[in-house]
Amino acid sequence: MADGHLFNNILLGGRGGTLRVHSGGIIWKKQGGGKVVEVDKADIVGVSWMKVPRAFQLGFRIKDGLFYKFTGFREQDVSSLNAFLQNSVGITPEEKQLSVSGQNWGEVDLDGNMLTFLVGSKQAFEVSLADVSQTQLQGKNEVVLEFHVDDTTGANEKDSLMELSFHIPNSNTLFVGDETRS
Amino acid sequence: GEGRGSVRSSSELIAYKNVNDIPQSRELMIQIDQKNEVILLPIYGSMVPFHIATVKSVTSQQDSNRTGYIRIIFNVPGTPFSPQDANSMKFQGSIYLKEVSFRSKNPRHVSEVVQQIKSLRRQVNSRESEKAERAT
Repeated sequence: MADGHLFNNILLGGRGGTLRVHSGGIIWKKQGGGKVVEVDKADIVGVSWMKVPRAFQLGFRIKDGLFYKFTGFREQDVSSLNAFLQNSVGITPEEKQLSVSGQNWGEVDLDGNMLTFLVGSKQAFEVSLADVSQTQLQGKNEVVLEFHVDDTTGANEKDSLMELSFHIPNSNTLFVGDETRS
Repeated sequence: GEGRGSVRSSSELIAYKNVNDIPQSRELMIQIDQKNEVILLPIYGSMVPFHIATVKSVTSQQDSNRTGYIRIIFNVPGTPFSPQDANSMKFQGSIYLKEVSFRSKNPRHVSEVVQQIKSLRRQVNSRESEKAERAT
């Protein structure tokens, strides 16, 4: 367990802690004890980096649909962790870009349990469909997603997302029917 | 008022140019960036910016447990007077975020947010219509 990399001041859902990335997986411990998040390497489906305001964010997608986003890495951490993840864990992280243009129109990408809203092929936000309690079709062009109100991701949010909806114009050809998607 | 270089037309709708331009926030709660005319919404642990010109309306509610609710409705094509309508041909294949609602543990924060969004919208709208008037 002494192998790997240890990082201090790593935020998970707004809470600070330490993250150890080792050859068997990852362990995040909340500062001052309490919450521990431990993920086995075998349960990791995907890893991604994203530049966020004044830091880098490391995202781990887990088998059951959970997605952990750890924030607070420096630029030099990215290259050292990439080398370690590739050599010792056998995972190559992908690079994502954050959209900050503030537009409300773009594309919706569905990948497993993750729904990503992309603006100009950059990620504006993503939500986990595992947390969706209900979906509704409103009229012909609106899809409503309702979220569980308990914060299963451990997020320390003052304001928590309850519901969001997308307007899909008739001119959209991507979501004419799910059956045609491979 | 001709010398105001920072005034952007609504068709540009750029909240921030760089990731680092987003104001730092310690807490995951709805925030208003008056200077850049942006609202920031906490979605899945990240602060997501939306330019004020994308916002159509905002409403709030409070229940007996002193929990506040806030609902933001965005402009989508087909809505009268939405700024994107001029551009809707350009973005024909696009999907629009139409609505988001949040639950807040702080009702005072909810009413502050609603007030700030409304006044920022008024400010931007009157400036834009002033500009449009001058152009004709």
